[in-house]
Amino acid sequence: MTKWTRGRTLAIGIALIVLTNAVALGGAWWNRSATPESALTLSERELGLPWRSLRFAEDSGLSLNLNWRVGDREAGEFVSGYTFNGGTPEWLDAAHMAALGFAPGDLSSDRGRQRYARQLPREVILVMELGGPMWQRALARAREDAGRHAAAAAANVGSKQFADRAKRAGDELAREENSNSRLFVIDAGLDARQLREKYPDRSRFLLIHGTVRPALRDRGSDAAQATGYVSRIRTGRIHVPHALRGPLESARGVGEPGSGDRFSAELLVGRRLEPWIADVKQVPKAADGPRANHAGEF
Amino acid sequence: MTDRPAPSRVEAQQRVDDIRTFQDELARLEDEGILRLDPAQRAAIQAHHASLREQFSTLFDVDRDSRAKQLSLGMRVASFLGALALATSVFFLFYQFWGHFGETAQVAILIASSLASFGLTIWLQARDATGYFTKLAALVAFACFVLNITMLGQIFNITPSDKALLPWAAMAFLLAYTCDLRLLLAAGICCVIAWVQARVGTWHGIYWLHAGERPENFFPVAALLFIFPLLVAHRRFPGFAPLYRVFGLLCLFIPMLILSHWGRVSHLDLDPDLIEGGYQVAGFVAAALAIWLGARRGWPEAVNTGIVFFVIFLYTKFYQWWWEIMPKYLFFLVVGLAAVLILLILKRLRRTFQPPAGEGAP
Repeated sequence: MTKWTRGRTLAIGIALIVLTNAVALGGAWWNRSATPESALTLSERELGLPWRSLRFAEDSGLSLNLNWRVGDREAGEFVSGYTFNGGTPEWLDAAHMAALGFAPGDLSSDRGRQRYARQLPREVILVMELGGPMWQRALARAREDAGRHAAAAAANVGSKQFADRAKRAGDELAREENSNSRLFVIDAGLDARQLREKYPDRSRFLLIHGTVRPALRDRGSDAAQATGYVSRIRTGRIHVPHALRGPLESARGVGEPGSGDRFSAELLVGRRLEPWIADVKQVPKAADGPRANHAGEF
Repeated sequence: MTDRPAPSRVEAQQRVDDIRTFQDELARLEDEGILRLDPAQRAAIQAHHASLREQFSTLFDVDRDSRAKQLSLGMRVASFLGALALATSVFFLFYQFWGHFGETAQVAILIASSLASFGLTIWLQARDATGYFTKLAALVAFACFVLNITMLGQIFNITPSDKALLPWAAMAFLLAYTCDLRLLLAAGICCVIAWVQARVGTWHGIYWLHAGERPENFFPVAALLFIFPLLVAHRRFPGFAPLYRVFGLLCLFIPMLILSHWGRVSHLDLDPDLIEGGYQVAGFVAAALAIWLGARRGWPEAVNTGIVFFVIFLYTKFYQWWWEIMPKYLFFLVVGLAAVLILLILKRLRRTFQPPAGEGAP
């Protein structure tokens, strides 16, 4: 038997390190080597700076959190019915879940409902739309709520309860107008090409890997409906390259994230659906008039 | 003279311990008048033993007596803690400063640190007779490699994948077998466990990070780890085969324990009560089998792991059945009596596997 020498160990170890790095770097290069699969210009609403209180003080790196939302009819009133970074979308029905690989089963019995709900999350491709109809609906609903509660408060002058509700609805409207993410998950599938054919606008529709797990609407009843919970995206924290950190440093040091459109960033997604930040620009303080809108119309 | 391969560190230490035991027993036999060596034989044995000890001390810095052995234990503990602290320090050092460099420099630093720490480990191994510094360096090298791949993923937003576990396992095994380090063998085995169970999960369509939520996904890797030392001899690495068996048994018993209490998380599409009952029985049977097989094959780690899980299975059932309904004195009395019963069974088992009196005598 050949003797196992230190030289051979050294060679194998070096080969392992070099090969592993080559595979990882080659994959990153491959992802970025073609025309980007998606290219969106996002604001601080969608790419949030890390919360200062949650930040690891000794980490000198900087990543931005991709903030996304789901249209969820079961969400409460004061989040405009649209949950953040996870939720049960209205469009995700039994047929859609079956197409994603989940077995719908018989939901009319307890056993069938349990069998459906105990399936574990699967990986899918999520389609996110920036500033589309879903966001318009969220904005309209927040305006409607604010108007309704303001009217109720005006009709019940002196009632603290009505005044508080009106204030909360007003705050929610302000957040919806100025700081909430406009990026909504609007579809999910298993084939990126098919999804891109369905949503051809690369500057408005973002394709990214995520996970969906089964959920039930009207869980306790015989009329329970199969749906799914969009539980996470695989690359929710996006590293900011050193050369692009300049415009973010001033925003990073002041206040907590979500305080408005202080910067805009160009987010590209490559052929492996892995994102990267290609450009960051500081948005000058809107002295007058409406803020720059990167996608939809106000 | 036969051309024997050079012994490993553990084998050398075992030989030195055996020499000490032999000398003690020889002194007793001489005191009791059973055996008396003539001066020439005594001198030959002493010279041979002295030569062996000298050789092993030079090669491995083995412990020559019990005081040295006690000190060695302290050094092993210090080396282990130091290795953990240094590996952690590497992580924090990089996090502290990496944001101040461009991506090219970050990648260069990561690759260079992996290569340098690995090279240092191999260089030290040739010079460090004690092995303690090699252990420190090996763990730092492994930490650097893990950090290397993790940070590349972070810098380039690479989708997290279970495939990263494979090169980590390969590096851990390379360092473990080169430097005779059980700590890194355990790290490598953990990577293999995580990877195999993730793969088994993804065959069922589960996203790999959730594969652990079906405990049965650990059973294939349990079998693999238990069988591996039977297929590949580990004569030169005395502590390695038991480690594989212990991890194999843990991958069997822990999922069984979970499934015996939460049948809903099983792959099996059956009534959860039935699944829990089935795994309770399977747990007892598997633990008893591990004890029996361990006693038969001379695998103390299998016996001990089997006993520990047999007791855990038994006591958790006792708790479920009787904690609420029994007075506490009676509950603990039952627990104590069960322990006595287990002792009696093990005593009987020990007698069964003991060689008959006189066997092995010339």
